[in-house]
Amino acid sequence: MPVVELVGVTKAYENKVAVHNLSLSIDAGQMFGLLGPNGAGKTSSIRMMMGITIPDTGRINLFEKPFERKSLERVGYLPEERGLYKKMKVLEQLVFFGELHGLTAEESRKRATEWAKRMEIADSLLKKTEELSKGMQQKIQFIATLLHDPGLIIMDEPFSGLDPVNAVLVEKTLLELKDQGKAILFSTHRMDQVEKLCDSICLINNGQAVLVGKVREIKATYERNRVIVEFEGSPSFLSSDEIAEAKNFSGHAEIKLKPHGNAQKLLHEAAAVASIFRFELVEPSLEEIFIETVGGKSDA
Amino acid sequence: MRNIFLIARREYMEQIRSRAFRLSTIGLPAVLGAVLAISYFSSLGLGTSEHLAIAAGDPALANDIRTRLLSAKNSKAIIDVVAPATPQDHATLVEQVRAKAIDGLLEVETPAGGAPAATYTSRSSGNFMTTARIKDALNDGLVSEHLTGSGMKQSDADALLKGVAIDTYQVKSTGPPVKSNAELSFWKGYVMALLLTMTTMIYGLNVARSIVQEKTSRIFEVMLATVKPSDMLAGKLVGAGAVGLTQIGIWLVAGAAILVSPFAAAALTGNFAIHFTWAECVLFPVYFLLGYLLFSSLFAGLAATCETEQELQMYMPLAAAPTWLSFSMILLIINDSNSFWSVAVSFFPPCAPIVMFLRMASQQPPAWQFAVSIGLMILSIWGTLWLSSRLYRVGILMYGKRATLPELLRWLRYS
Repeated sequence: MPVVELVGVTKAYENKVAVHNLSLSIDAGQMFGLLGPNGAGKTSSIRMMMGITIPDTGRINLFEKPFERKSLERVGYLPEERGLYKKMKVLEQLVFFGELHGLTAEESRKRATEWAKRMEIADSLLKKTEELSKGMQQKIQFIATLLHDPGLIIMDEPFSGLDPVNAVLVEKTLLELKDQGKAILFSTHRMDQVEKLCDSICLINNGQAVLVGKVREIKATYERNRVIVEFEGSPSFLSSDEIAEAKNFSGHAEIKLKPHGNAQKLLHEAAAVASIFRFELVEPSLEEIFIETVGGKSDA
Repeated sequence: MRNIFLIARREYMEQIRSRAFRLSTIGLPAVLGAVLAISYFSSLGLGTSEHLAIAAGDPALANDIRTRLLSAKNSKAIIDVVAPATPQDHATLVEQVRAKAIDGLLEVETPAGGAPAATYTSRSSGNFMTTARIKDALNDGLVSEHLTGSGMKQSDADALLKGVAIDTYQVKSTGPPVKSNAELSFWKGYVMALLLTMTTMIYGLNVARSIVQEKTSRIFEVMLATVKPSDMLAGKLVGAGAVGLTQIGIWLVAGAAILVSPFAAAALTGNFAIHFTWAECVLFPVYFLLGYLLFSSLFAGLAATCETEQELQMYMPLAAAPTWLSFSMILLIINDSNSFWSVAVSFFPPCAPIVMFLRMASQQPPAWQFAVSIGLMILSIWGTLWLSSRLYRVGILMYGKRATLPELLRWLRYS
């Protein structure tokens, strides 16, 4: 059963329709990617799920019930616009957010300490937030989102501001939470992370869902017309008649075949002028699907 | 309710621990005390150490005026007498004023059969204290000369001119009349009104500044995931209000401790005896709370529409205007604290706390007038909160530019 469900949701501001007739659902134990160019309507959709704004039409269900504020106690939300109380100490801040989510001060303190160890910021618990780096503050916010053990986790750009080491730590944590049966929705511009982490996606453009479904199924609908070639020798085969577009990174080429382009013929042509170490016919990446679907209109 | 409490507690703890709170708790009464002390002590010594010259045709009158000026309290003046004075003396003395050899020149003419005339020449045109002192001495001198010229003894004339002190008593609703000191009562009311103004404005603006800072730090969206905007606003108002009450509590306790100390008991006796009534002790926190809620709820809504503290400054005259209006009515209130305008302005919610305390300095207004002013304030707080909460819930999520008036009106319709 879906943990969160949007049915025909529409929201308009002034002269702009931010979200138009959007429907999606996320089940427990599912990681869901909400994608789209800047201004597509991702944050507007998330804000409606959190009851920060109210849809003009359509309905939103949380935990199989029509939206009610009480349900938010079971939701963890990391907004795109991060914010912490700068003058507060980290532990005090986490306890405060835990209490707001219904935990006792004691329980909040216990969980905050455990999470701080897990996210490798235990040394900073007694420091003022303003003394910490942006990445550290991001981790504090991440902990504040999860402290009350929510069943639904909504994160708007959770990886922004994190270095690669901490991004991996957050990825690992999200996967563990997914394994525990949490429903996770996040929006991001990092397609590699979506491809790695998400089971399903919804691609929004101009407020409308243009692509919804399981990542595997969406990719399967696209023709396998991409070729990865690793070679040594002349790159002259990259001007073959079978190729629509090619990128050569000195010995590593990414090729898009023409419609009905013949991969076997291309392999023969390449082998004739170069030694081939790898020749792999692949599906388009999510990034390519994204760019193709939104027509290169993204300003991300 | 729990969330309101949690937000209020956080707000309270953050402000109580701040350096600004410690500084204002000690600094505000200290600065106020210093200002009053400086103005009091400087008024004692004003105009008394000047070097003056008196030029007159009548040497006896000139010397009499000199004696009167020198006998003034705390006088350290040097006074030369040139009498009988010639036109050449006039030119020389004016030149001395110009050359800063003397500070001022009083010239008195008493033509036979005509009205006396006097001029005072100095480099400054604004020293009205000295002018008033000279005028008193001159008039007393002229009257004394006239009386002695009519046959009265000098000692009788002096006794007559000395004046009679008046002891003032105030009749209360019950009990016998009590001795009062109008000047001290006025200053007590004035200081209480001033403290009330400062605290309501400081804490009202604290709420506004805190909203702008939270808007800048983007904390609102995190908070809105769990807390309703109205709860956030309520928590903030309660928290900052509690900080203000704590500060007033500290002042009241410290004030009481000082008043009952042996030092104060010795110093604050006789004409300096200060008495605080129960009504004043109860109404001060009540009017603080009402004034604070009115200002802070208004500024909370306005702050939500601002992007920076600089933009917030634009609304400062709105906070200052009622204070200007209230203090501009001081003379009217001293003359008649129950006049139509005094009563009317004490009912006007933004001015009520200050004007009520200024009125209480002269005479305790009837209970129904307190009830009306408090009732009207509660109504206006309700109205302001209604308006502000609508601006607040939309404004806190609006980033980028300051809202225009048509946008603000649209925000009111959204909610």
